[in-house]
Amino acid sequence: MDYSRKTLADALAAGYVAGTLRGPARRRFEVLLAAHPALRAAVHEWQRRLMPLTVAIAPVAPPPRVWAAIEQRLWPAPAATPWWQRLALWRAFSGVALAAVVGLAVLVATPPPAQPPVVVVLQSTGGLPALAGSFVASFSGDGRAVVARPVTPVALQDDRVLELWWARATGAPTSLGLIRADGVTVLRHGQFPQGLKASGIDHMAVSVEPPGGSPTGAPTGPVVFAGKLSL
Amino acid sequence: MRLDEADWPEKSRELAQLLARAGLGDRAAFARLYERTSAHLFAVVLRIQRDRALAEDLLQEIYVAVWKAATGFDAARSQPLTWLTSIARHRAIDSLRRAQAQPQTVSTTRDEGDDDERPDAVDAAASDDPGPLALLGRASDARELGRCMEHLTPPQRQSVALAFFDGLSHAEVAEHLHQPLGTVKSWVRRALATLKGCLERSVLRDGAREA
Repeated sequence: MDYSRKTLADALAAGYVAGTLRGPARRRFEVLLAAHPALRAAVHEWQRRLMPLTVAIAPVAPPPRVWAAIEQRLWPAPAATPWWQRLALWRAFSGVALAAVVGLAVLVATPPPAQPPVVVVLQSTGGLPALAGSFVASFSGDGRAVVARPVTPVALQDDRVLELWWARATGAPTSLGLIRADGVTVLRHGQFPQGLKASGIDHMAVSVEPPGGSPTGAPTGPVVFAGKLSL
Repeated sequence: MRLDEADWPEKSRELAQLLARAGLGDRAAFARLYERTSAHLFAVVLRIQRDRALAEDLLQEIYVAVWKAATGFDAARSQPLTWLTSIARHRAIDSLRRAQAQPQTVSTTRDEGDDDERPDAVDAAASDDPGPLALLGRASDARELGRCMEHLTPPQRQSVALAFFDGLSHAEVAEHLHQPLGTVKSWVRRALATLKGCLERSVLRDGAREA
Protein backbone atom coordinates (compact mmCIF):
# COMPACT_ATOMS: atom_id res chain seq x y z
CA MET A 1 0.00 0.00 0.00
CA ASP A 2 1.50 3.34 -1.00
CA TYR A 3 1.67 6.24 1.38
CA SER A 4 -1.29 8.21 0.02
CA ARG A 5 -3.60 5.21 0.15
CA LYS A 6 -2.44 4.44 3.64
CA THR A 7 -3.19 8.01 4.68
CA LEU A 8 -6.61 7.84 3.11
CA ALA A 9 -7.35 4.52 4.80
CA ASP A 10 -6.33 6.02 8.12
CA ALA A 11 -8.46 9.12 7.60
CA LEU A 12 -11.48 7.00 6.71
CA ALA A 13 -10.93 4.78 9.74
CA ALA A 14 -10.68 7.87 11.94
CA GLY A 15 -13.94 9.25 10.58
CA TYR A 16 -15.61 5.89 10.99
CA VAL A 17 -14.62 5.56 14.63
CA ALA A 18 -15.20 9.22 15.49
CA GLY A 19 -18.62 8.95 13.91
CA THR A 20 -18.26 11.66 11.27
CA LEU A 21 -18.19 9.21 8.37
CA ARG A 22 -21.90 8.94 7.62
CA GLY A 23 -24.50 7.86 5.14
CA PRO A 24 -23.52 5.89 2.03
CA ALA A 25 -19.82 6.51 2.69
CA ARG A 26 -20.12 4.79 6.05
CA ARG A 27 -21.89 1.82 4.51
CA ARG A 28 -19.29 1.53 1.75
CA PHE A 29 -16.55 1.65 4.33
CA GLU A 30 -18.19 -1.17 6.28
CA VAL A 31 -18.22 -3.29 3.15
CA LEU A 32 -14.54 -2.54 2.54
CA LEU A 33 -13.71 -3.37 6.16
CA ALA A 34 -14.79 -6.94 5.71
CA ALA A 35 -12.30 -7.42 2.90
CA HIS A 36 -9.29 -5.39 4.01
CA PRO A 37 -7.25 -6.35 7.07
CA ALA A 38 -5.27 -3.10 6.84
CA LEU A 39 -8.47 -1.08 7.22
CA ARG A 40 -9.54 -3.23 10.15
CA ALA A 41 -6.19 -2.64 11.79
CA ALA A 42 -6.57 1.12 11.32
CA VAL A 43 -10.06 0.99 12.83
CA HIS A 44 -8.76 -0.98 15.81
CA GLU A 45 -6.08 1.61 16.38
CA TRP A 46 -8.59 4.45 16.32
CA GLN A 47 -10.90 2.63 18.65
CA ARG A 48 -8.05 2.11 21.05
CA ARG A 49 -7.23 5.83 20.88
CA LEU A 50 -10.70 7.29 21.11
CA MET A 51 -12.86 4.94 23.19
CA PRO A 52 -11.24 5.94 26.50
CA LEU A 53 -12.75 9.39 25.88
CA THR A 54 -16.08 7.86 26.87
CA VAL A 55 -14.96 7.53 30.49
CA ALA A 56 -16.10 11.13 30.82
CA ILE A 57 -19.73 10.14 30.39
CA ALA A 58 -21.50 9.50 33.68
CA PRO A 59 -22.97 5.97 33.69
CA VAL A 60 -26.75 5.61 33.39
CA ALA A 61 -28.16 2.38 34.74
CA PRO A 62 -30.61 0.89 32.25
CA PRO A 63 -33.98 -0.24 33.62
CA PRO A 64 -34.27 -3.96 34.52
CA ARG A 65 -36.61 -4.56 31.57
CA VAL A 66 -33.63 -4.28 29.19
CA TRP A 67 -31.88 -7.29 30.70
CA ALA A 68 -35.17 -9.18 30.85
CA ALA A 69 -35.65 -8.53 27.13
CA ILE A 70 -32.09 -9.62 26.33
CA GLU A 71 -32.57 -12.90 28.20
CA GLN A 72 -35.89 -13.44 26.49
CA ARG A 73 -34.30 -12.92 23.08
CA LEU A 74 -31.23 -15.04 23.68
CA TRP A 75 -32.81 -17.86 25.61
CA PRO A 76 -36.55 -17.89 25.07
CA ALA A 77 -38.03 -20.08 27.80
CA PRO A 78 -39.51 -23.21 26.25
CA ALA A 79 -43.20 -23.68 26.99
CA ALA A 80 -41.95 -25.18 30.17
CA THR A 81 -43.13 -26.62 33.42
CA PRO A 82 -42.37 -24.64 36.54
CA TRP A 83 -39.73 -27.26 37.24
CA TRP A 84 -37.85 -26.62 34.10
CA GLN A 85 -37.95 -22.88 34.47
CA ARG A 86 -36.36 -23.09 37.86
CA LEU A 87 -33.35 -25.02 36.65
CA ALA A 88 -31.01 -22.04 36.60
CA LEU A 89 -31.93 -21.23 40.15
CA TRP A 90 -31.46 -24.84 41.15
CA ARG A 91 -27.98 -24.96 39.77
CA ALA A 92 -27.02 -21.94 41.76
CA PHE A 93 -28.26 -23.51 44.94
CA SER A 94 -27.07 -27.04 44.39
CA GLY A 95 -23.92 -26.52 46.44
CA VAL A 96 -25.94 -25.38 49.42
CA ALA A 97 -28.26 -28.34 49.10
CA LEU A 98 -25.34 -30.77 48.98
CA ALA A 99 -23.94 -29.28 52.17
CA ALA A 100 -27.33 -29.66 53.81
CA VAL A 101 -27.56 -33.30 52.76
CA VAL A 102 -24.11 -34.07 54.11
CA GLY A 103 -24.88 -32.31 57.37
CA LEU A 104 -28.17 -34.04 57.87
CA ALA A 105 -26.77 -37.46 57.07
CA VAL A 106 -25.07 -37.30 60.46
CA LEU A 107 -28.47 -37.34 62.10
CA VAL A 108 -29.56 -40.65 60.61
CA ALA A 109 -29.20 -42.47 63.88
CA THR A 110 -31.87 -40.40 65.63
CA PRO A 111 -35.04 -42.45 66.00
CA PRO A 112 -37.82 -40.88 63.95
CA PRO A 113 -41.20 -39.86 65.36
CA ALA A 114 -44.06 -41.85 63.88
CA GLN A 115 -45.66 -39.96 61.01
CA PRO A 116 -48.13 -40.98 58.32
CA PRO A 117 -46.74 -41.73 54.84
CA VAL A 118 -47.13 -39.21 52.03
CA VAL A 119 -48.08 -40.09 48.50
CA VAL A 120 -47.20 -37.87 45.53
CA VAL A 121 -48.50 -38.32 42.02
CA LEU A 122 -46.09 -37.10 39.34
CA GLN A 123 -47.84 -36.25 36.10
CA SER A 124 -46.26 -36.23 32.68
CA THR A 125 -44.95 -32.75 31.83
CA GLY A 126 -44.91 -33.37 28.10
CA GLY A 127 -41.14 -32.74 28.24
CA LEU A 128 -40.75 -35.83 26.08
CA PRO A 129 -44.01 -36.57 24.33
CA ALA A 130 -43.12 -40.27 24.13
CA LEU A 131 -43.13 -40.55 27.91
CA ALA A 132 -46.78 -40.33 28.84
CA GLY A 133 -48.51 -41.54 31.97
CA SER A 134 -47.68 -40.85 35.57
CA PHE A 135 -45.48 -41.89 38.46
CA VAL A 136 -46.42 -42.45 42.07
CA ALA A 137 -43.93 -41.84 44.85
CA SER A 138 -44.74 -42.64 48.45
CA PHE A 139 -42.65 -41.56 51.40
CA SER A 140 -42.48 -42.76 54.88
CA GLY A 141 -43.62 -39.79 56.97
CA ASP A 142 -40.09 -39.09 58.11
CA GLY A 143 -38.90 -38.90 54.50
CA ARG A 144 -36.31 -41.63 55.07
CA ALA A 145 -37.64 -44.06 52.54
CA VAL A 146 -39.22 -43.45 49.16
CA VAL A 147 -41.01 -45.97 47.02
CA ALA A 148 -41.42 -44.93 43.39
CA ARG A 149 -43.24 -46.74 40.64
CA PRO A 150 -44.76 -45.88 37.28
CA VAL A 151 -48.50 -46.30 37.06
CA THR A 152 -47.91 -47.99 33.72
CA PRO A 153 -44.42 -49.02 32.53
CA VAL A 154 -42.54 -46.18 30.83
CA ALA A 155 -40.77 -46.90 27.53
CA LEU A 156 -37.35 -45.34 27.73
CA GLN A 157 -34.49 -45.18 25.23
CA ASP A 158 -31.88 -47.84 26.02
CA ASP A 159 -29.13 -45.35 26.77
CA ARG A 160 -31.18 -43.23 29.15
CA VAL A 161 -32.17 -43.56 32.77
CA LEU A 162 -34.72 -41.86 35.02
CA GLU A 163 -33.65 -39.87 38.06
CA LEU A 164 -35.92 -38.79 40.91
CA TRP A 165 -35.52 -35.33 42.47
CA TRP A 166 -37.07 -33.27 45.18
CA ALA A 167 -36.84 -29.58 45.97
CA ARG A 168 -38.13 -26.79 48.11
CA ALA A 169 -40.14 -23.94 46.58
CA THR A 170 -36.89 -22.10 46.06
CA GLY A 171 -33.52 -23.75 45.97
CA ALA A 172 -31.71 -26.53 44.23
CA PRO A 173 -33.25 -29.93 43.65
CA THR A 174 -31.69 -32.89 45.39
CA SER A 175 -31.33 -36.21 43.70
CA LEU A 176 -32.98 -39.12 45.44
CA GLY A 177 -31.42 -41.56 43.03
CA LEU A 178 -32.12 -43.45 39.84
CA ILE A 179 -35.45 -45.18 39.51
CA ARG A 180 -36.71 -47.96 37.32
CA ALA A 181 -38.93 -47.15 34.37
CA ASP A 182 -40.67 -50.53 34.49
CA GLY A 183 -41.25 -51.28 38.16
CA VAL A 184 -40.91 -50.47 41.83
CA THR A 185 -37.79 -48.75 43.21
CA VAL A 186 -37.18 -48.36 46.91
CA LEU A 187 -34.79 -45.57 47.92
CA ARG A 188 -33.59 -44.93 51.42
CA HIS A 189 -32.38 -41.56 52.62
CA GLY A 190 -31.27 -40.45 55.99
CA GLN A 191 -32.78 -37.03 55.43
CA PHE A 192 -35.22 -34.90 57.37
CA PRO A 193 -35.33 -36.50 60.81
CA GLN A 194 -37.73 -33.71 61.76
CA GLY A 195 -40.17 -35.07 59.21
CA LEU A 196 -40.98 -34.32 55.64
CA LYS A 197 -43.27 -31.45 56.55
CA ALA A 198 -40.53 -29.59 58.42
CA SER A 199 -38.12 -30.09 55.53
CA GLY A 200 -39.94 -27.60 53.31
CA ILE A 201 -39.77 -30.01 50.36
CA ASP A 202 -42.73 -29.32 48.14
CA HIS A 203 -41.90 -30.57 44.63
CA MET A 204 -40.81 -33.81 43.09
CA ALA A 205 -39.73 -34.53 39.57
CA VAL A 206 -38.32 -37.21 37.33
CA SER A 207 -35.76 -36.27 34.70
CA VAL A 208 -34.23 -38.23 31.83
CA GLU A 209 -30.47 -38.55 32.31
CA PRO A 210 -27.47 -40.28 30.75
CA PRO A 211 -26.45 -43.67 32.20
CA GLY A 212 -25.28 -43.29 35.77
CA GLY A 213 -27.48 -40.26 36.37
CA SER A 214 -26.96 -36.52 36.06
CA PRO A 215 -23.27 -35.71 35.84
CA THR A 216 -23.80 -32.22 37.28
CA GLY A 217 -25.84 -32.84 40.41
CA ALA A 218 -28.81 -31.03 38.86
CA PRO A 219 -31.29 -32.34 36.29
CA THR A 220 -29.71 -32.16 32.85
CA GLY A 221 -32.26 -33.96 30.69
CA PRO A 222 -35.85 -32.96 30.18
CA VAL A 223 -38.06 -33.17 33.25
CA VAL A 224 -40.67 -35.67 32.21
CA PHE A 225 -42.78 -36.08 35.33
CA ALA A 226 -43.46 -33.56 38.08
CA GLY A 227 -45.75 -33.25 41.06
CA LYS A 228 -46.40 -31.22 44.17
CA LEU A 229 -46.37 -32.54 47.70
CA SER A 230 -49.44 -31.66 49.65
CA LEU A 231 -48.72 -32.19 53.31
CA MET B 1 -19.36 6.62 39.64
CA ARG B 2 -17.47 7.41 36.50
CA LEU B 3 -14.78 5.24 35.12
CA ASP B 4 -11.28 6.50 35.20
CA GLU B 5 -9.05 6.15 32.21
CA ALA B 6 -6.54 4.48 34.49
CA ASP B 7 -9.22 1.86 35.30
CA TRP B 8 -9.77 1.12 31.65
CA PRO B 9 -7.08 -1.58 31.25
CA GLU B 10 -7.64 -2.79 34.85
CA LYS B 11 -11.36 -3.26 34.37
CA SER B 12 -10.66 -4.74 30.97
CA ARG B 13 -8.65 -7.65 32.38
CA GLU B 14 -11.56 -8.74 34.51
CA LEU B 15 -14.01 -8.23 31.66
CA ALA B 16 -11.83 -10.23 29.27
CA GLN B 17 -12.37 -13.31 31.41
CA LEU B 18 -16.11 -12.77 31.55
CA LEU B 19 -16.21 -12.30 27.78
CA ALA B 20 -14.17 -15.44 27.20
CA ARG B 21 -16.53 -17.44 29.39
CA ALA B 22 -19.56 -15.92 27.68
CA GLY B 23 -17.98 -17.01 24.41
CA LEU B 24 -18.13 -20.57 25.69
CA GLY B 25 -21.82 -20.18 26.46
CA ASP B 26 -21.57 -19.29 30.16
CA ARG B 27 -24.75 -17.32 30.83
CA ALA B 28 -23.82 -16.38 34.38
CA ALA B 29 -20.59 -14.80 33.11
CA PHE B 30 -22.58 -12.91 30.48
CA ALA B 31 -25.01 -11.68 33.12
CA ARG B 32 -22.08 -10.39 35.16
CA LEU B 33 -20.60 -8.73 32.10
CA TYR B 34 -23.92 -6.95 31.59
CA GLU B 35 -24.02 -5.93 35.21
CA ARG B 36 -20.52 -4.44 34.99
CA THR B 37 -20.79 -2.68 31.65
CA SER B 38 -24.40 -1.86 30.83
CA ALA B 39 -24.52 1.50 32.67
CA HIS B 40 -21.48 2.70 30.73
CA LEU B 41 -22.76 1.52 27.37
CA PHE B 42 -26.26 2.86 28.06
CA ALA B 43 -24.80 6.28 28.85
CA VAL B 44 -22.71 6.23 25.66
CA VAL B 45 -25.76 5.27 23.61
CA LEU B 46 -28.00 7.86 25.28
CA ARG B 47 -25.62 10.68 24.37
CA ILE B 48 -26.04 9.79 20.71
CA GLN B 49 -29.56 8.41 20.60
CA ARG B 50 -31.52 10.65 22.95
CA ASP B 51 -34.83 8.89 22.52
CA ARG B 52 -34.82 6.77 25.67
CA ALA B 53 -37.06 4.03 24.35
CA LEU B 54 -34.93 3.69 21.22
CA ALA B 55 -31.79 3.75 23.33
CA GLU B 56 -33.14 0.87 25.43
CA ASP B 57 -33.89 -1.13 22.28
CA LEU B 58 -30.39 -0.41 21.06
CA LEU B 59 -28.82 -1.58 24.30
CA GLN B 60 -30.77 -4.79 23.94
CA GLU B 61 -29.52 -5.26 20.37
CA ILE B 62 -25.99 -4.46 21.46
CA TYR B 63 -25.86 -7.15 24.13
CA VAL B 64 -27.53 -9.71 21.90
CA ALA B 65 -24.81 -8.94 19.34
CA VAL B 66 -22.13 -9.13 22.04
CA TRP B 67 -23.32 -12.57 23.15
CA LYS B 68 -23.21 -13.79 19.57
CA ALA B 69 -19.83 -12.22 18.83
CA ALA B 70 -18.20 -13.12 22.16
CA THR B 71 -16.54 -16.21 20.70
CA GLY B 72 -14.78 -13.99 18.17
CA PHE B 73 -13.50 -11.51 20.74
CA ASP B 74 -9.73 -11.35 20.62
CA ALA B 75 -8.30 -10.17 23.92
CA ALA B 76 -4.85 -9.90 22.38
CA ARG B 77 -6.15 -7.42 19.88
CA SER B 78 -8.44 -5.10 21.79
CA GLN B 79 -9.51 -4.41 25.31
CA PRO B 80 -13.04 -5.51 26.18
CA LEU B 81 -14.26 -2.05 27.14
CA THR B 82 -12.90 -0.64 23.90
CA TRP B 83 -14.54 -3.41 21.95
CA LEU B 84 -17.88 -3.11 23.77
CA THR B 85 -17.95 0.68 23.59
CA SER B 86 -17.14 0.56 19.87
CA ILE B 87 -20.01 -1.82 19.22
CA ALA B 88 -22.35 0.40 21.22
CA ARG B 89 -21.29 3.56 19.43
CA HIS B 90 -21.60 2.09 15.97
CA ARG B 91 -25.08 0.82 16.69
CA ALA B 92 -26.09 4.19 18.11
CA ILE B 93 -24.73 6.06 15.09
CA ASP B 94 -26.46 3.59 12.77
CA SER B 95 -29.74 4.24 14.56
CA LEU B 96 -29.40 7.95 13.73
CA ARG B 97 -28.82 7.05 10.13
CA ARG B 98 -31.99 4.99 10.09
CA ALA B 99 -33.96 7.74 11.80
CA GLN B 100 -32.70 10.24 9.25
CA ALA B 101 -33.69 7.97 6.39
CA GLN B 102 -37.26 8.06 7.60
CA PRO B 103 -39.40 11.03 6.54
CA GLN B 104 -39.90 12.48 10.00
CA THR B 105 -37.50 15.30 10.69
CA VAL B 106 -35.91 15.21 14.07
CA SER B 107 -33.39 17.93 14.52
CA THR B 108 -30.21 16.58 15.94
CA THR B 109 -28.55 19.92 16.27
CA ARG B 110 -28.87 21.48 19.65
CA ASP B 111 -27.33 24.07 21.87
CA GLU B 112 -25.86 23.14 25.18
CA GLY B 113 -28.83 24.65 27.00
CA ASP B 114 -31.77 23.67 24.84
CA ASP B 115 -32.41 20.25 26.35
CA ASP B 116 -35.39 21.80 28.09
CA GLU B 117 -37.01 22.49 24.76
CA ARG B 118 -36.89 18.84 23.83
CA PRO B 119 -39.67 17.25 25.82
CA ASP B 120 -38.51 13.71 24.90
CA ALA B 121 -35.11 14.41 26.35
CA VAL B 122 -36.32 15.95 29.56
CA ASP B 123 -35.82 13.51 32.34
CA ALA B 124 -33.96 13.36 35.58
CA ALA B 125 -30.63 13.09 33.82
CA ALA B 126 -31.14 15.97 31.42
CA SER B 127 -30.80 18.74 33.94
CA ASP B 128 -27.19 17.98 34.81
CA ASP B 129 -26.32 16.56 31.44
CA PRO B 130 -22.96 18.09 30.62
CA GLY B 131 -22.29 19.36 27.12
CA PRO B 132 -19.88 17.55 24.83
CA LEU B 133 -17.13 20.06 25.42
CA ALA B 134 -17.42 19.59 29.17
CA LEU B 135 -17.13 15.84 28.59
CA LEU B 136 -14.02 16.32 26.57
CA GLY B 137 -12.66 18.39 29.43
CA ARG B 138 -13.39 15.56 31.84
CA ALA B 139 -11.89 12.97 29.57
CA SER B 140 -8.89 15.20 29.42
CA ASP B 141 -8.34 14.62 33.11
CA ALA B 142 -7.05 11.32 31.83
CA ARG B 143 -3.32 11.65 31.69
CA GLU B 144 -2.25 10.85 28.18
CA LEU B 145 -5.31 11.93 26.25
CA GLY B 146 -5.42 15.10 28.29
CA ARG B 147 -1.95 16.15 27.28
CA CYS B 148 -2.85 15.52 23.67
CA MET B 149 -6.14 17.42 23.87
CA GLU B 150 -4.16 20.50 24.77
CA HIS B 151 -2.64 20.43 21.32
CA LEU B 152 -6.05 21.08 19.74
CA THR B 153 -7.38 24.55 18.99
CA PRO B 154 -10.70 25.40 20.68
CA PRO B 155 -12.78 25.02 17.48
CA GLN B 156 -11.04 21.72 16.72
CA ARG B 157 -11.81 20.49 20.21
CA GLN B 158 -15.42 21.56 19.99
CA SER B 159 -15.99 19.90 16.61
CA VAL B 160 -14.49 16.61 17.76
CA ALA B 161 -16.51 16.70 20.95
CA LEU B 162 -19.81 17.30 19.14
CA ALA B 163 -19.09 14.58 16.60
CA PHE B 164 -17.73 12.01 19.01
CA PHE B 165 -19.98 12.34 22.05
CA ASP B 166 -23.24 13.41 20.47
CA GLY B 167 -22.93 11.63 17.15
CA LEU B 168 -23.30 14.79 15.08
CA SER B 169 -22.36 14.55 11.42
CA HIS B 170 -19.99 17.05 9.82
CA ALA B 171 -22.98 18.94 8.41
CA GLU B 172 -24.66 19.05 11.80
CA VAL B 173 -21.50 20.24 13.51
CA ALA B 174 -21.18 22.93 10.82
CA GLU B 175 -24.74 24.05 11.37
CA HIS B 176 -24.28 24.00 15.11
CA LEU B 177 -21.11 26.08 15.01
CA HIS B 178 -22.34 28.31 12.17
CA GLN B 179 -19.29 27.45 10.10
CA PRO B 180 -18.86 26.31 6.51
CA LEU B 181 -18.91 22.55 6.07
CA GLY B 182 -15.41 22.47 4.57
CA THR B 183 -13.97 24.33 7.55
CA VAL B 184 -15.54 21.91 10.03
CA LYS B 185 -14.34 18.92 8.06
CA SER B 186 -10.80 20.14 8.14
CA TRP B 187 -11.04 20.98 11.88
CA VAL B 188 -12.13 17.45 12.66
CA ARG B 189 -9.58 15.92 10.34
CA ARG B 190 -6.73 17.95 11.77
CA ALA B 191 -7.89 17.37 15.33
CA LEU B 192 -7.88 13.61 14.84
CA ALA B 193 -4.50 13.71 13.12
CA THR B 194 -3.07 15.80 15.95
CA LEU B 195 -4.45 13.40 18.55
CA LYS B 196 -3.04 10.43 16.72
CA GLY B 197 0.39 11.97 16.35
CA CYS B 198 0.47 13.05 19.97
CA LEU B 199 -0.69 9.68 21.33
CA GLU B 200 1.86 7.87 19.21
CA ARG B 201 4.63 10.12 20.45
CA SER B 202 3.64 9.53 24.06
CA VAL B 203 3.60 5.77 23.48
CA LEU B 204 7.11 6.06 22.07
CA ARG B 205 8.15 8.20 25.03
CA ASP B 206 6.75 5.64 27.49
CA GLY B 207 8.54 2.91 25.58
CA ALA B 208 11.81 4.84 25.70
CA ARG B 209 11.42 5.45 29.42
CA GLU B 210 10.84 1.79 30.13
CA ALA B 211 13.72 0.68 27.93
